Amino acid sequence: MDQLQLRELEARCIQEDQPFCTAACPIHVDVRGFMAAMARGKLLDARRILDRTMPFPALIGRLCDQPCRPFCKRAEVGEPLAIGSLERYCVEHTDTVLKPPKLPAKGGRVVVAGAGLSGMTAALDLSRKGRTVTLLTARDAAGGSLRRRVDVPAEVLAGAVDLLTGYGVRLETDASLTAAVLESLANDHDVLYLDFDDLAPGLVPEGLGRPDPLTLALARPGWFGGGSLAGGGFSLIGQVEAGRRAALTIERSLQQVSLTAQRDLEGARPTRMHTVVDGIAPLAAVVPADPAGGYTDDEARQEAGRCLQCECLECVKQCVYLREYKEYPKTLVRKIFNSETIVQGTRSANRMINGCSLCGQCTVICPNDFPVAEVCRASRRSMVETGHMPPSAHEFALDDMAFSRSEHCRLARHQPGTSTSRYLFYPGCQLVGSVPDTVRRTYELLCAQLPGGVGLLLDCCGIPAHWSGRDDQFTAILDEFTAEVERLGRPTVVVACSSCLWVFGTFAPHVATRSLWEVLAELELPADRPPVPPTVLALHHPCTARRQPELRAGVRALCDRVGLATVEAELAGELADCCGYGGLMQFANPALGSKAAAVKAERSPHPGLAYCAMCRDNLADSGRPVAHLLDYLVAAGDEDDPLARINPGYSERHENRARLRRRLLAELWQETTAEPAGEATLPLVMDPAVRALLDRRHILAEDVRRVIHRAETTGRYLVQPGSDRRLASFRPVRVTYWIEYEPTAAGFVVHNGYSHRMQLPEDTL
Amino acid sequence: MSTFSFIEATEWHCAGCDRPLVPTPVKVSYLHSVFNVELMACPGCGFVYVPESLALGKMLEVEQLLEDK
Repeated sequence: MDQLQLRELEARCIQEDQPFCTAACPIHVDVRGFMAAMARGKLLDARRILDRTMPFPALIGRLCDQPCRPFCKRAEVGEPLAIGSLERYCVEHTDTVLKPPKLPAKGGRVVVAGAGLSGMTAALDLSRKGRTVTLLTARDAAGGSLRRRVDVPAEVLAGAVDLLTGYGVRLETDASLTAAVLESLANDHDVLYLDFDDLAPGLVPEGLGRPDPLTLALARPGWFGGGSLAGGGFSLIGQVEAGRRAALTIERSLQQVSLTAQRDLEGARPTRMHTVVDGIAPLAAVVPADPAGGYTDDEARQEAGRCLQCECLECVKQCVYLREYKEYPKTLVRKIFNSETIVQGTRSANRMINGCSLCGQCTVICPNDFPVAEVCRASRRSMVETGHMPPSAHEFALDDMAFSRSEHCRLARHQPGTSTSRYLFYPGCQLVGSVPDTVRRTYELLCAQLPGGVGLLLDCCGIPAHWSGRDDQFTAILDEFTAEVERLGRPTVVVACSSCLWVFGTFAPHVATRSLWEVLAELELPADRPPVPPTVLALHHPCTARRQPELRAGVRALCDRVGLATVEAELAGELADCCGYGGLMQFANPALGSKAAAVKAERSPHPGLAYCAMCRDNLADSGRPVAHLLDYLVAAGDEDDPLARINPGYSERHENRARLRRRLLAELWQETTAEPAGEATLPLVMDPAVRALLDRRHILAEDVRRVIHRAETTGRYLVQPGSDRRLASFRPVRVTYWIEYEPTAAGFVVHNGYSHRMQLPEDTL
Repeated sequence: MSTFSFIEATEWHCAGCDRPLVPTPVKVSYLHSVFNVELMACPGCGFVYVPESLALGKMLEVEQLLEDK
């Protein structure tokens, strides 16, 4: 990611865009912050917010015509906030809290003719910037048309004048302002600003034209003008905006820089802010019990408390990952950029980058399709390319993938007794790991009914390599896949796993694929299927089906056909959560993976039905009964109730894959393979708690066997006097495993296991 | 280079040498970094004992720090 890409990405996240009220305010008062302070009863904090933006808070706070109010989002659920009344309440109950500094004098002589609110504002802003300002009015006091209003307390107007003179503005009342005087003033000063609100009509010289809307420049160099005649009806805050806009133009003119560059953010404007009000209870406006006396303290707090504090965060509300790291996309990409570009020191975002499930839910939710997954995956790719990928993040998952693709598990065959395949069944590595017998029965069903031969390919599509940013490895796996399909005579690949289906459809689009669900919908299903449960099941779509609506529709149709009553949570289908496996989240951050599974499971109170093996097993881990769709489509086996199956865990998955290959070869193809021998047959005794502990610690049964086998053959282990317990370690490749065990007649009882990556001297032996 | 000590009394004995473990200076390494530490080891064959608390505590912490460098 370079700076430009970072900026483009940051600009797509609207969380920091202005809320509707602030955007609609001609001078962008932080109304949201003001309301938050008011709701807490922090009047001084609220006043500080007004002081920061309003040139004359006591005056404007009382009189603002609140063009922001029609834009208040609360109007959609109640009535808009009484913004003007609350500002009035605030300034009536507080004195000035924040006095913006006056910068050192820096020359530049400015004369403001006409002391209406725009002239006063321009004079104040320029004086604060260190300019010498003279403010002239032909009347006996400043204020322009405000002086004709009955609702402007004299002392408030006097206070505004005091503020001006306090900043060094030279106010001249009863000035003789004629066309000739204006000409002479313009000659004697660098800049002249005309406040039309406080100038006698007919005074203005001919040929000045109307002020330019962006800069308020008139047709003569050094002449600027604004105020009530500048356009439209009289708006008090509009006067303030004109003065502020003029002051900025004049400051730029004195600095001899562009008057027009980058001014698109000034004045009232639309905002991209996206605030969803669904589920927010309507609240009517708080009306003062005594309308003449205005709000009581309590009423003001209550009214301010109705503010929705508009923000977006729509993605964060749903995404367990963004919540965990307390980021929204804009802050997330900045942290990723900073971490990526650090030359020396800690790459502090590594774990965060590897924590994303890459599921893309946030992108669907985002009004600007912010691509968090793409950013995180690109960052992982860059970490891999530059050698900065932490080894512990994905190694276990990649080893698991390598095992699925090894000679122990991988299998590619035409249907027994045939030499061509019109179809090729591709169950995917995790389904085989989870329910090998169901996979076998599915294959037999396909063979019995599909014409032209159904080949079998047991393999992994390589998505773990893709997720971990190892693009070379991923491409090589896909190349092997397409070569295998070619070798088998280009059959249509019947895919059970939605991740595999997405991978093939996206990266090998020339290979013909169909989802298993679509194919099964056309076949006769066996009569001896397990009975469908009498209860309604929550259909959990996997995150990788997000971009495959036809797949989701096919699954729904199949559920209907077999009589599975399903409902879908509000966040399902295109908005489905990831179960924690996506993006290898559960390997890089196991605790977060568990949280993700729990969130997905808890979207619905019903028992679940999944059609992704990883969703099925992870949701089962989170304690909800959950079945796999395939359980109800093929002949019943002697396995547990589909809703009650536990997560087999990593070790069992390995063994399931290897066993299925051996059995299929022996029983369907009559090919004998070597049965496991040597250390692979070492009998282990593990109670479920130890099994679960080792699984969580990513220690496989085969690792345990290696440690024990080596200890028992070399005699190198530790013992405790008076006990048969032994402690041994072994480092097959990159991880040193420690196993505490006890030899018994039934086998080696495993009591504990842990591991570390740090290398001991003897590990190098 | 300073030496960090992780010695703690332990009942584990070396089975091969039939000797108790004693504090021993050891070099441990990860990702091109080498640390001098003191661990319990067999004085006969040098079998180094890494207790569970160390593997899942300080060692893991240092491993993760080094992985983020």
